[in-house]
Amino acid sequence: MSKSRRLVIRICAVLVLVLIAACMMVIGRGHTVYFDNKTLEYDGNTYEAPYKITVIVKDENVAKLYVKERGQATNIGQNFTVSLRVMEEKNGDETTETYSFKLPYSMDGVVVNLPGLMAGLPEEAWISEFVSMIPEPATAEDEEVPSADEFEMDMGDEF
Amino acid sequence: MKNNGNGKKVLNFLGNNSVPILFILICIVCIPVSGFSPSYLINEIVTRMGRNIFLILCLLIPIMAGMGLNFGMTLGAMAAELALILVSDWQIWGIPGVVLAMILSIPFSILLGALCGKILNMAKGREMITSYIISFFMNGVYQLIVLYMMGPIIPIKHTTVKLPRGYGIRNSVDLFHMRQCLDNLMAVRIGGVKVPVLTFLLIGLLCLFIIWFRKTKLGQDMRAVGQDMDVARDAGINVERTRIISIVMSTVLAGFGMVIYLQNMGNIATYSSHSQIGMFCIAALLVGGASVDKASIGNVFLGVILFHTMFIVAPKAGAIITGDSMIGEYFRVFVSYAVITIALIMYETKKRKARSRAGQQLQLAQQEEEAAANE
Repeated sequence: MSKSRRLVIRICAVLVLVLIAACMMVIGRGHTVYFDNKTLEYDGNTYEAPYKITVIVKDENVAKLYVKERGQATNIGQNFTVSLRVMEEKNGDETTETYSFKLPYSMDGVVVNLPGLMAGLPEEAWISEFVSMIPEPATAEDEEVPSADEFEMDMGDEF
Repeated sequence: MKNNGNGKKVLNFLGNNSVPILFILICIVCIPVSGFSPSYLINEIVTRMGRNIFLILCLLIPIMAGMGLNFGMTLGAMAAELALILVSDWQIWGIPGVVLAMILSIPFSILLGALCGKILNMAKGREMITSYIISFFMNGVYQLIVLYMMGPIIPIKHTTVKLPRGYGIRNSVDLFHMRQCLDNLMAVRIGGVKVPVLTFLLIGLLCLFIIWFRKTKLGQDMRAVGQDMDVARDAGINVERTRIISIVMSTVLAGFGMVIYLQNMGNIATYSSHSQIGMFCIAALLVGGASVDKASIGNVFLGVILFHTMFIVAPKAGAIITGDSMIGEYFRVFVSYAVITIALIMYETKKRKARSRAGQQLQLAQQEEEAAANE
């Protein structure tokens, strides 16, 4: 095999791997989606939260949300489909609607306001980034770093 | 005379397979004592086979090239951990996360493997101890990267990965969203035993690759180098390059194996996951009847089954026999190191015997030649 042909094959192999890696980064991006059943104020209008919303993701009931409650689900990739079984009033009839939307790649945690989603408002009205308000406490174990003369045998069950 | 010949054959067989036979005896004694149900035992062994076989198979290529047991496979494990830390921080989950980690580990593994191979070429004949010490040296570099460079130089965003002080990686990185994703995809249950079909398919593919690779030009070159470097060099084989390729291949495969291992475990012990992996894999391979210069796929499978059966039953059997579970723990640690020591001693003894036999034959031939010349 000539040198130039070998080089071309190697470059192609690297490109294929880079391409696969790029695909994996897109299709494997994980998101935590938080659902809020909260009244939404947008553009001077008020969108009231219904009495109860059952959130169904991939045929699984992930949350049953009453007013001012929050539920969550995880999703791999940017395409997200959710079915909402809505009960407007207590003991009222339930209606089921399915919504599909794209999750922003840059957001790890996505907060979705369900009344806004159901009202068909633009995305910026009902999607926001989840920001944790609770600072994580630092434990002594977390701060521990391995010592330079570590020779202990670590042979637990895990192997 | 015939009986004598048969007796020699049996003795030879026992001598050549003393380690697996010893382990079979240990298992025969310990299994009933431990009181584990067969389904529990089989489930555990199948899980551990899926977790470990890929890692152990990566040891076969350097043995083929005459470089002995590659203690440097730890480098591949480190590469895999670096890749998994990054993938975990980038929040790539599930199978795509596993695939991405494998791809990301390749450049790290190639770099580390090439470095290891270059150094091993400078220490021909002492590959095992050299690779063992290289793994200690690289562990220091790994800690420098993970403790001080990840955060300020290599961007790490998530507090679940980063230490609270703002740089460095936590002692344990959670792979919850990747946990057993390979094992659970296409898994089947047979009589209460979960069989991770996809993981076994990957292992099967690697076995086929190794069988095919042995027949290729490069594989034949490796075998020639393994048998005699000088003869191989005279035959026009680039010995140094072939040896480096074998170590690079082993390191890359060890990286893949470590990703499979860690997705099964579901978390990375950042500073210790890799440190003992080489020792355990080598011990398992030797328990399967392999030696420093000869190993087969069959040795890998037999070794994993025997070594891990001993690992599972020894603590419980030790607790029942002695009343102290730590005895069993110490026993399995002792056995792991002892089996490596015995294998190395047996290899050295065999090598010396062969050398002495060759010397005697040469002397005899010389004497005959001299006698013929005198006549």
